[in-house]
Amino acid sequence: MNDTLTAYSGLLRSSTQVALTYRGRIVLWFVSGLFPLLLMAVWLTVSAESGPPAGWTSADFISYYAAAALLWNLSGQHVVWEWDADMRSGDLSVRLLRPIHPFHQYTASDLGHRAVSLMMLLPVLVLAALLVPGINYPLGVFDAVAVLAAVVLAYLVSLVMASTFAIVGFWSTQAANLWMLWWGIGSFASGWVAPLDLMPPWLRNAALVLPFRATIGFPVELMIGHLDIRATLVGFAVGLAWLAVFSGLYVCLWRRGLRRYQAVAG
Amino acid sequence: MSRRSPYLRILGICWRASISSEMEYRLNFLSSAAVSIFWMVWAAVGVSVYFRFTGQVAGWSYPELLVVIGLFFTVNGLRQAIFEPNLERIGEYVRRGTLDMLLTKPVDAQLLVSFRYLGIGNVMDPLLGLVVTGVGLALSGRGLSVGALPPFALLFAAAIALLYALTLALMALAVVLVGAEELGSVSFAVVELARFPVQLYRNPVQSVLTVLPIAFLTTFPAQALLGRLNPVLLLVAPAVAAGSVALATLTWRRSLRSYSGASA
Repeated sequence: MNDTLTAYSGLLRSSTQVALTYRGRIVLWFVSGLFPLLLMAVWLTVSAESGPPAGWTSADFISYYAAAALLWNLSGQHVVWEWDADMRSGDLSVRLLRPIHPFHQYTASDLGHRAVSLMMLLPVLVLAALLVPGINYPLGVFDAVAVLAAVVLAYLVSLVMASTFAIVGFWSTQAANLWMLWWGIGSFASGWVAPLDLMPPWLRNAALVLPFRATIGFPVELMIGHLDIRATLVGFAVGLAWLAVFSGLYVCLWRRGLRRYQAVAG
Repeated sequence: MSRRSPYLRILGICWRASISSEMEYRLNFLSSAAVSIFWMVWAAVGVSVYFRFTGQVAGWSYPELLVVIGLFFTVNGLRQAIFEPNLERIGEYVRRGTLDMLLTKPVDAQLLVSFRYLGIGNVMDPLLGLVVTGVGLALSGRGLSVGALPPFALLFAAAIALLYALTLALMALAVVLVGAEELGSVSFAVVELARFPVQLYRNPVQSVLTVLPIAFLTTFPAQALLGRLNPVLLLVAPAVAAGSVALATLTWRRSLRSYSGASA
């Protein structure tokens, strides 16, 4: 365990360097982060034309989407593409030879990239919060701690969920496509397509118990102060439960898949 | 005729080679077709959320918006099939010296660099996009009038020409900057902005997108189909497209003049 932690600090340092070297990829993430801003722009038009939908003012939308853009950049799902590429090329075999589990190798590498994204995004977000009228994150000390915990939980849920799908790559070359379908369907219940308050009631209710909201919607709603203490606790409970479910699934699939992988490679 | 035909023959050979190499991965081809359908439905259902609160956004009803979204997939699919596979290789051409070799070939290098490769992974997107556009037209209650087709064809051709101009300009930039991988994301972002009609964004963004000329990619062709195009655009769009292609070609040639070769 201690060895893994030591390895993490080294891997983190190297992956931060890698992230800083390949700035092009950071630009790409920024561009894909553009998408929620398009959705926001349309909501602003709707809100200006026919009044605040479901009571959401334009200030609410701006606060929501600024936070959602941050969460998108901090999510742990990007590991899917690394797993997929390595399984196709066979580089996974090299990673298996190293003394720490590939899961930690991918996670450490991803954390380095997140750190660089955060370094670039956070100043922009803080500036926007100070300068753009209407952006408002009404947070006390206790709320700030809760938000931080929710962001960490969001990272873990998306990381473990994506890793579980990546493991499907032991059985199928279509693992990454499968993940995209899962993510795409989930995006309606995660708060990515639209804030869940604006979704039809049945979808809103389903989203409360599905795993997706924990990855974006829950921390963002917490940030903009839309959740009371009860809703906050429910959100944490659901997120933690799904984290446990996917961790179990991941471990189970990994053991079976690895045996298969050896069979193929051997 | 005798001057043009060798170009077409070369293109034919290049594209046939591309297609047969991509066809080796048949399962990938099928699954990417399934993924295309999925994202199309995703986009159509996604925007319907806006219409839970209003019948029209900036004068666009839901079926009319579908017309634009269908065209977005058509344009984006063509970008991925024709422009992206070539744009993503230019960095490598410059870094590895392949460009030196291309320049010595007895064919116009611009042709080879621009159209050498064809990606068929997303070949369903343009077709499905047109289907969504057709469904949108039918649902909007206007249907397709034959009179709307020629203006639409003109504006659509202008849209594709503009996209080519953008691609070529980015290639010229890649030659000057020596392999800038993020350039591909510029063309992705530009087309992504055309997902919605520009009127859905309020000013000043709307004016910027009209000038930039994002509006020419999907908004204006959709308006032509819906029969509410400002007639002036029938002259402006081809002029803007031709001007852009000419400008991009000039930029490309200038960039080659500054290019000193990878071996130097």
